[in-house]
Amino acid sequence: MTKPGHSLTDEGQPSPATAGALAPQGSQRAAAEADTIVRIKDINVRYGRYHAVKDACLDIRRGEVVAIVGPSGAGKSTLLRAINMLEQPSSGTLQVGDFTFSVDHRLTAQDLLKLRRSTGMVFQSFNLFPHMTVERNISLPQMRVLGRSRKDADARTAQLLERVHLADKAQSYPARLSGGQQQRIAIARALALDPKVMLFDEPTSALDPELGLEVLAVMRELAEDGMTMIIVTHEIAFAADVADRVIVMADGAIIEEGTPEAVIRNPSSPRTQRFFRAVVDRR
Amino acid sequence: MSETLSNWIDWLPQLVQGLLVSLQLTGLALLIGLPLGLLLALLSASKTTWLRRAAIVAVEIGRGAPALVVLQMVYYGLPASGLTVSAFASGAIALGLTTGAYTSEILRAGLNAVPKREVEAGFALGMTYPDIMRFVVIPQGILFAVPALMGFAILIFQATALTFTIAIPELLARAYRVGAATYLYLDVLILAGLLYLAVTIPFGWLVSYTERRMSSHLG
Ligand SMILES: Nc1ncnc2c1ncn2[C@@H]1O[C@H](COP(=O)(O)OP(=O)(O)OP(=O)(O)O)[C@@H](O)[C@H]1O
Ligand SMILES: [Mg+2]
Repeated sequence: MTKPGHSLTDEGQPSPATAGALAPQGSQRAAAEADTIVRIKDINVRYGRYHAVKDACLDIRRGEVVAIVGPSGAGKSTLLRAINMLEQPSSGTLQVGDFTFSVDHRLTAQDLLKLRRSTGMVFQSFNLFPHMTVERNISLPQMRVLGRSRKDADARTAQLLERVHLADKAQSYPARLSGGQQQRIAIARALALDPKVMLFDEPTSALDPELGLEVLAVMRELAEDGMTMIIVTHEIAFAADVADRVIVMADGAIIEEGTPEAVIRNPSSPRTQRFFRAVVDRR
Repeated sequence: MSETLSNWIDWLPQLVQGLLVSLQLTGLALLIGLPLGLLLALLSASKTTWLRRAAIVAVEIGRGAPALVVLQMVYYGLPASGLTVSAFASGAIALGLTTGAYTSEILRAGLNAVPKREVEAGFALGMTYPDIMRFVVIPQGILFAVPALMGFAILIFQATALTFTIAIPELLARAYRVGAATYLYLDVLILAGLLYLAVTIPFGWLVSYTERRMSSHLG
């Protein structure tokens, strides 16, 4: 499915084996640590008195695809948005690449920009810039954020548009595109900054099922290319298929996690069982 | 009637001269006022308390004071403070100040109409706040404000008639001059009124055309 030498991700992600070989000899654990790209420890997020995320802990390895599922209001979006600091946690520590956040650590504007440069985010409502062409939507952030020249940015944009199968839409305005096309543009826009992690917040919820499929297809290719991805989704079948690990959240807490087989087919907690039963009933 | 018509034909050249002055004043008022309005709109959304308050106070004064009062204050005030400016420049500056105060409200509404989720997308991409303002919020905010700004341009064009009080030879002043010479005040004022309408009515059409085009373009 993926053409060689034409990867969605700019640099090839080092395989766990390579990273292990570079780690201090014989230390399995050090190898695992070197490979952890997102480390969330005891993160809490509050909206005023409302406790939206409670003591969340989660480590994500390079190249891993993690799906976060759970009922509405569980705090999934809030946790995801804490990872790129669109929501600021009230306590806990967060590490993304070489970015570190903890409450007693003074966060500078530079730190924040660095964090956001290394994470790409895709929103439920696409959030393209409607007054710019598709090409400019994708090229402008590259020029402003990475300092690429217009020529380099446009070249990268063309490459990404091809990969999301929208090469002919470079000069269109977002309002002229379908929701599925807009969402694929939004994915390309985030990828253009060569993020280390991609964060997806219900990327298909605003779409008709068919249009959702074309977005899921692009995400699947991205996963196959080795991109690290955290996906909040209600698409359980997609999660079961593509994710390496499924996280279940309810009432602000992570209540279960494991492989898709374990969590979806054999959930241990009654709360999780109830959630998946409700999902199945809906269909 | 035919006598009125032949009078109108006689007066037309000088009144058209006056109309051109009125249009120049309008253009200058917008040239001075729109950037000022944008600046005030941005400052009134500033996180710095004193900047925000200063901008809000300036806007309130500018909108509260009748345009005629602002005009007189600039015309008599600037020379009193040692600056010599022509009546024409005083008129342009005064109308520009009024324009700034009014358009800042229009532009602020336009800026507020830009969805917050686009700002959030900018942050998520790692763009700086100034960049988000410059490339995402301000261009769209201005675009949203265009129909209302065009409507305001009609008002400020009409307000140029006030500058006849400081002897700027614009349309109304010329009409009065003809009236004083001929005592045909009503006839010449009707002609002046028609000339104002010849600008405002087609421009009004342009405004509603722009509104329609914009609402179909920005989804
Ligand atoms: N800005 C906010 N201010 C106050 N409360 C908020 C805010 N954002 C979210 N919340 C609350 O925090 C809780 C968790 O919200 P969140 O959006 O993370 O849930 P979710 O799991 O993503 O749900 P959904 O599946 O509906 O998207 C909800 O009860 C929500 O009402
Ligand atoms: Mg959500």
